Amino acid sequence: MTNTPNVLEVKDLVVHFPGRRGEVVKAVDGVSFNIARGEILALVGESGCGKSTIAMSVMQLVVPTSGTIITGGEDLTALHGKALRQARRRIQMIFQDPFGSLDARQTVYESVVEPLIIHKAGGSADERRNRVLEALDFAHLRPPQRLAAVYPHQLSGGQRQRVAIASAIVLGPELIVADEPVSMLDVSARAGILRLMVDLRDRLGVSYMFITHDLAVAWVVADRIAVVYLGRIVEIGTSEELVAAPAHPYTKALLAVSGGDDRTGEIDPVSGEIIEVLPGETPSAAKVPPGCHFHPRCPRYAELGQPEVCRVDDPVLHLTNKSDVKSQTHEVACHFPEEPI
Amino acid sequence: MILLEINDVSIDYRTEHGTLRAVDHVSLHVDRGESVGIAGESGCGKTTLGLAVPLLLAQNATVATGSITLDGTSLVGLSEKQMDPLRWTKVAFVFQGAMNALNPVQRIDRQILEAITTHETSIDAGVAHKRVLDLLDSVGIAPARASSYPHEFSGGMRQRVMIAMSLACRPKLLIADEPTTALDVISQAQILSLLNQLRRAEDLSLILISHDLAAIKRVCDRVVVMYAGVVVESGLTAEIFGTSTTAPSAAHPYTQSLIAAHPDLHGQRVLAEGLSGHPPDLSQVIVGCRFADRCPHVMDVCQRVEPTLVTIAPGHVAACHLVDGEAS
Repeated sequence: MTNTPNVLEVKDLVVHFPGRRGEVVKAVDGVSFNIARGEILALVGESGCGKSTIAMSVMQLVVPTSGTIITGGEDLTALHGKALRQARRRIQMIFQDPFGSLDARQTVYESVVEPLIIHKAGGSADERRNRVLEALDFAHLRPPQRLAAVYPHQLSGGQRQRVAIASAIVLGPELIVADEPVSMLDVSARAGILRLMVDLRDRLGVSYMFITHDLAVAWVVADRIAVVYLGRIVEIGTSEELVAAPAHPYTKALLAVSGGDDRTGEIDPVSGEIIEVLPGETPSAAKVPPGCHFHPRCPRYAELGQPEVCRVDDPVLHLTNKSDVKSQTHEVACHFPEEPI
Repeated sequence: MILLEINDVSIDYRTEHGTLRAVDHVSLHVDRGESVGIAGESGCGKTTLGLAVPLLLAQNATVATGSITLDGTSLVGLSEKQMDPLRWTKVAFVFQGAMNALNPVQRIDRQILEAITTHETSIDAGVAHKRVLDLLDSVGIAPARASSYPHEFSGGMRQRVMIAMSLACRPKLLIADEPTTALDVISQAQILSLLNQLRRAEDLSLILISHDLAAIKRVCDRVVVMYAGVVVESGLTAEIFGTSTTAPSAAHPYTQSLIAAHPDLHGQRVLAEGLSGHPPDLSQVIVGCRFADRCPHVMDVCQRVEPTLVTIAPGHVAACHLVDGEAS
């Protein structure tokens, strides 16, 4: 065991899938990041960007093509059988759909006790019962004794997601992977679930890998944000840095639409043309453009007269002083990070 | 000039547990060329109200009170045969998740053509085909891609096709139910901007039904907020949500909580409180204000007397005892 403060270290993660016509689908194409103890890292990006595949790799639900995923000093990608099962206890997952992720025929108690049974953890039946009730109480499912006996159909979406959270914390994990945990909930229920996640971090010291398409939510919940585009992290930094001083044009576009202050759909007074937030659509991961993955849609590339370097060279993440000259946390993958566009 | 007038409409569902009133004495109107948003969370009655306009309610639902008048025609009680010619030509509906409703084994231009020729039986084939290409062009799909199959398009593009199809017979009113919910943020912005462009170009009136206030703010002139089957507030979008230079002036605590629920990238970096509890069970008799159990400002009177809509400013109404003077 090493003495690192990180609960998760992902290095050079690559996940390629074979496509139907023999092409290679580059779902994740070289991603590295760490999550410290008690830290919330948000992975933000659009569907198909690879953020959920990164989560699946960390859960070992897909087998990475290459790269390492280190937790508790062990590389998950090198573990099998019992050792992998042991290591998995440290990482739990919350899924997007609280209507699909709970077994309709199991009571809340049965759902939450199941991880303890599978991992032969939690001691005697009485001790297990106490752990489950404690987890329900932590998840604000109160009174826990009463809620333990109900079935999912008797619960609202927000309450179901609390059950999923109780199941995730009952084993005492170091890291919870939360994949869009509020996007299927009603607006009024979302804040409560997000507050609960932050509250559990504060009380239990658990870390989160929080996957979301919503940059504004990531901003208020996460300590750091990684923006993912076509299988790569294009920008990473503290939430404040990234929102106050975005260095990548894709981050800027996401911020503009999330803040509602882009001018999409308005008519440009100079050109008379309709303003688009970004031209075109995200290319398929089976047809990743050469050079910078983003260059065909990049307003900066267009504005700078289509420099060759963007078409040829793949930019790597490097520190930027966009937000603060001394920042050791703000990194961007762009050949022209200082450009104002 | 009023295009659609919904006057005192109530809609009941017959269920195995008795009758449930999903929409309870709701009135609203849409002017020609105007865009109105209906906001609220699941179960508030917004979709039921929208479906009542083209008479597309489920079998077990009935309009129990009130009237719906579209372009001078009273709709409630019309037979299918009487309503059919009005659908697509006067009012079109884009359903939630509509992009998944395209026929997967038929090219998209054929599907739109079918919508036109079904309603305009005597139309010239060349004219109809030209209109298909024009419609696709108006939603940003090039003629070269008109004969694609749905699976060749992304979700955002399929939603554009559905919007093009809904406009096939040049309706005066388009009702769109959560048209952007399943889409990515950038595609959402593109679809909403498309709706804005179409309104300008086609002189279209729009009802946007959504739980997403940001979408409504972007597209709609006015907003109607529903809660548990009733309208709790309505007014100009710019007034209720505020603009870059003015603060929101939403008066109802429910509207205020909806606005606060989504973090504002221009505001404070804090997580909203959120609402606890749930909307009331509509199959039960509700006494007092429907929002009372979840309201941070609840008073005695709220548990006893149901508030009615009162005018706060011209065109801005809210149903809350905090503003109607009952409290004092």
